[in-house]
Amino acid sequence: MSGTVGDRDSAQWWERLARGEFVVQECDGCGGRRFPARAFCAGCRAEAWHWVRVDPVGRVETWTIGHRPFPEGTVVRIRLAAVPDATVFGGWAGERAPEYGQRVAAVLTTDGSRPLLRWRPRSG
Amino acid sequence: MTGAGRVVTVGLVAKRLFTLADRVAVAGVGYTPFTKNSGVSTLTLACRAVLDALGDAGLGIDDVDGLATHRVGDSVPPSLVGPALGLDEPSWYLDQFGGGSVSHAMVAQAALAVASGVAETVVCYRAINARSEFRMGRAANPGPEAQYQTPYGLTAPVQHFALNARAHMLKYGTTEEHLGAIAVGQRAHAVKNPRALMREPITLADYLAGRWIAEPLRLLDCCLETDGACALVLTTTERARSLRRTPVLVSAAAWGGGQSFLSGADPTVSAAAALAPRLYGQAGLGPGDIDVALLYDCFTYSVLVQLEDYGFCAKGEGGPFAASGEGPPVNTHGGFLSEGYVHGLNHIAEAVSQLRWEAGERQVPGAETALSTSQPGYILPATSALILRRG
Repeated sequence: MSGTVGDRDSAQWWERLARGEFVVQECDGCGGRRFPARAFCAGCRAEAWHWVRVDPVGRVETWTIGHRPFPEGTVVRIRLAAVPDATVFGGWAGERAPEYGQRVAAVLTTDGSRPLLRWRPRSG
Repeated sequence: MTGAGRVVTVGLVAKRLFTLADRVAVAGVGYTPFTKNSGVSTLTLACRAVLDALGDAGLGIDDVDGLATHRVGDSVPPSLVGPALGLDEPSWYLDQFGGGSVSHAMVAQAALAVASGVAETVVCYRAINARSEFRMGRAANPGPEAQYQTPYGLTAPVQHFALNARAHMLKYGTTEEHLGAIAVGQRAHAVKNPRALMREPITLADYLAGRWIAEPLRLLDCCLETDGACALVLTTTERARSLRRTPVLVSAAAWGGGQSFLSGADPTVSAAAALAPRLYGQAGLGPGDIDVALLYDCFTYSVLVQLEDYGFCAKGEGGPFAASGEGPPVNTHGGFLSEGYVHGLNHIAEAVSQLRWEAGERQVPGAETALSTSQPGYILPATSALILRRG
């Protein structure tokens, strides 16, 4: 990794992801969890928070398959089990096409300059 | 004119400084031709559309005291267009950031300026070379959410609408044929519109044979990228009645929040669902009162979800409803899919043509009331809409 990835709200999230930690913010005021990273809790307006590690698992909400002139391949949008009000994008690591509501887990990869998420089917 | 109402304060909530409904009218509409390469600057396009709209209204630049536009770094602000036309000291202007989500908010704010008396006559314009200079279809999202999307190749509006359309298919059984029916129906309208760029009729088979852009969206799900400009002259209803064209009154104007990546909103519900009750409430109307609907159609799915969220059918039934042809005529000019894409203003301009009963072969007989809408709040978390009626 070279240089800073993300912005002033998200740089720590990217740093932790690069170390293999999947984290979300947890509000010190009300305990609400949120992603992506930003200063204020939309529930109670508190600015104090801390990171919590969560299982990088969720369910497939939707996907698209890109064609020229866009990058080819499947991109999925995952609703996080740990933060139902949050979704995360990523590549698709399944052998077959995604299914609606399919349970998935994240696989961490990199493009050489920043960590990337791919999502693979999981059982149970 | 009816007087401005009292300020009624209940606790911290100030209600209704005045009622906007029907106080402001569209008195003129202007266009440049729609093309794939205008060969001129956006400043030239803007000036031509502004002058065309004033000519339509029977007014001159000296009658104008306000200018408004919206843009995303792709066009010219009022501070250039005004001096370029010899209008050096407008008493009001608006340079609204945003694309299709805010086109109607821009007009709504101009209506507020007129209703409040800050300006008497405002020209709203949108001028873009969205094919020859600034490829609208490849425009990247502004904002912090892009860092979570671009690494996966998600950079363009069509990809996000593809995700939303797929979510609707998965949740409600919406089909490709439902989306195709919207594209085919709008093309049939465009056949009757001399201004439209795409006037060859298409069939569902043509639609299904189109190449994928971002599955489940194909070529004919996507709006055109167009060079062109549109302008509207807004003035008081009182003054509009003294001018040469049939006034078209702003009966309701609403704008507000939308889908945000921060809130993880359900992709099958657009921001129009929350906005619609406020909009209809202002006009004292419901979806059954709308004679013609101009629904923002950057992609077919946008029409489908708005049929639901503006109350023309139940949530989840937008696909079969669109394919059935029930409800008011939608996008009678062909929309952005077939007429051209001026980012929202050509929807309002078509509403005005319909309500003046000047829409030629595509006229909806006796149209009295039109709904015209902005991008329903996906990507940029904002949307806006107007209800217009024949004055």
